Amino acid sequence: MKKITATLFCLCSLSFAVEYDPIKGQMLSLSCASCHGTDGKSTTITPYIAGMGKTTLYKTLLEYKNGTKTGTMMQKHVKGFSDEELEQVSYYFSKVKR
Amino acid sequence: MMNRRNFNKLLVGSVALSFTACNSITSVSLPKNKKRVVVVGGGFGGATAAKYLKKFSPETEVILIEQNKEYYTCPFGNTVIAGMNDIEYIKHDYKTLESKYKIVVMHEKVKKVDGATSSVILENGQIIPFTKAVVSPGIDFKYEKGYVEGSEMYAPHAYKAGPQTSLLRKQLEDMKDGGTYVMVAPPNPFRCPPGPYERISLVAHYLKNNKPNSKIVILDQKKKFSKQGLFTEGWEKLYGDMIEWRSVDFGGKVLKVDPENKIVTTDEEDLKADVLNYIPSQKAGKLAFDSGLTQGDWCPVNTKTFESRLVKNVHVIGDASIATKMPKSGFSANSQAKIAALQIVRLLAKMPIVNPPKLANTCYSLLSPTYGISVAAVYEAHEDKIIKVKGSGGLSPMAASDSYRMQEAEYAVGWYKNQMADIFL
Repeated sequence: MKKITATLFCLCSLSFAVEYDPIKGQMLSLSCASCHGTDGKSTTITPYIAGMGKTTLYKTLLEYKNGTKTGTMMQKHVKGFSDEELEQVSYYFSKVKR
Repeated sequence: MMNRRNFNKLLVGSVALSFTACNSITSVSLPKNKKRVVVVGGGFGGATAAKYLKKFSPETEVILIEQNKEYYTCPFGNTVIAGMNDIEYIKHDYKTLESKYKIVVMHEKVKKVDGATSSVILENGQIIPFTKAVVSPGIDFKYEKGYVEGSEMYAPHAYKAGPQTSLLRKQLEDMKDGGTYVMVAPPNPFRCPPGPYERISLVAHYLKNNKPNSKIVILDQKKKFSKQGLFTEGWEKLYGDMIEWRSVDFGGKVLKVDPENKIVTTDEEDLKADVLNYIPSQKAGKLAFDSGLTQGDWCPVNTKTFESRLVKNVHVIGDASIATKMPKSGFSANSQAKIAALQIVRLLAKMPIVNPPKLANTCYSLLSPTYGISVAAVYEAHEDKIIKVKGSGGLSPMAASDSYRMQEAEYAVGWYKNQMADIFL
């Protein structure tokens, strides 16, 4: 029984994560680069996001989207993307070598 | 000499060395893999497209043709006019694109992009065949109301950066305290919607600190302008009543202009300026017209790929393209260039395009060195138009704190530096 529960739990958890689509992730990342630098490698006050943990970045973007995190700019951008798209773009930057 | 050297470079860079010579006309055949993209115009759109084409597909031969060896950006040009930065601050070149990305950069004038023969024809007669072309010709001005070619030496538009930026800076420096700076702001559509108003803000910043008895009059050929509420709020707070904005309906409409004597005739008066900054109405760059890419003043494109609707295999990006609802801005051009590059690489590889592509714009404006505001939006390309994604984007809030405005001013600088690196480095 324990085993079945564990298996079910795993399946449920996985269903929250979208499968990484590198083409979509890359496409969505392109406009980020204008402020955050090519592939997120900022050299300025704008945060460096290359190689950031996927979950951390995704969580941050969701917080901007639902208003629990405030800033001057990001809330304007994240509201233009579905949660799935934010997750894809988080995957993309997490895979960039720092 | 430059022609020969560039051309030789192209020959060496090209896989296939067979070429035909016919009088002075020379043509380099396509590389063996048939993947050559010629990018014409080295600004925000073109330089970005060249870099990202190579980034996405190193095996594609990318040739960037730009007549000037140096590029001066319009963004942050207003800080140069106001004396906050030197002209060097907005100067960039193509050396890294050549050395790091192996882009063949040619400093030549292009006569025409010829869709019928899939080739770019240079003014010196050379012909460069392409598989795909990207054209990013920017804007040109409509000569009007007495403002003719050459008028910019007396009444600078300073709306293409470089010598014009320096000239307007010099005129502002030479202006007497108590003088009048008059700007004629263009009707829609035009490059960088908040640009004229950022310029007015920073000119006011300079005058306040150096020539405080001076005044500024904007004769606007529109009824309203970008970020108007935020600009108006900031102007009152920072500059009191130094700036007077006249809408086209209330004294702003320009009937004629005498650039040499700096006199603007409106329907109410003859206004004598000490500095006259005349920004004319705009249209796509000349090359777009010469290449048959225009319909009316601008270039219609398939908004998912930016391929011209008039000429096959030629993609038009940046200010010259019809990409509404995206504004004509450097950021938009950069965003469009990357999407166009991505789609071109996929088309060359016979893969389906990314559908639907998403794009974005962010425009920061400085009202003083420590007072920034912004507008942004996310866009999605549909069959024949680009729509703003519902709920995305927006303006900086009204009545924000000083620290909020200062933070946005810092982010504006952050954007500029990263944006330049994203294009040129």
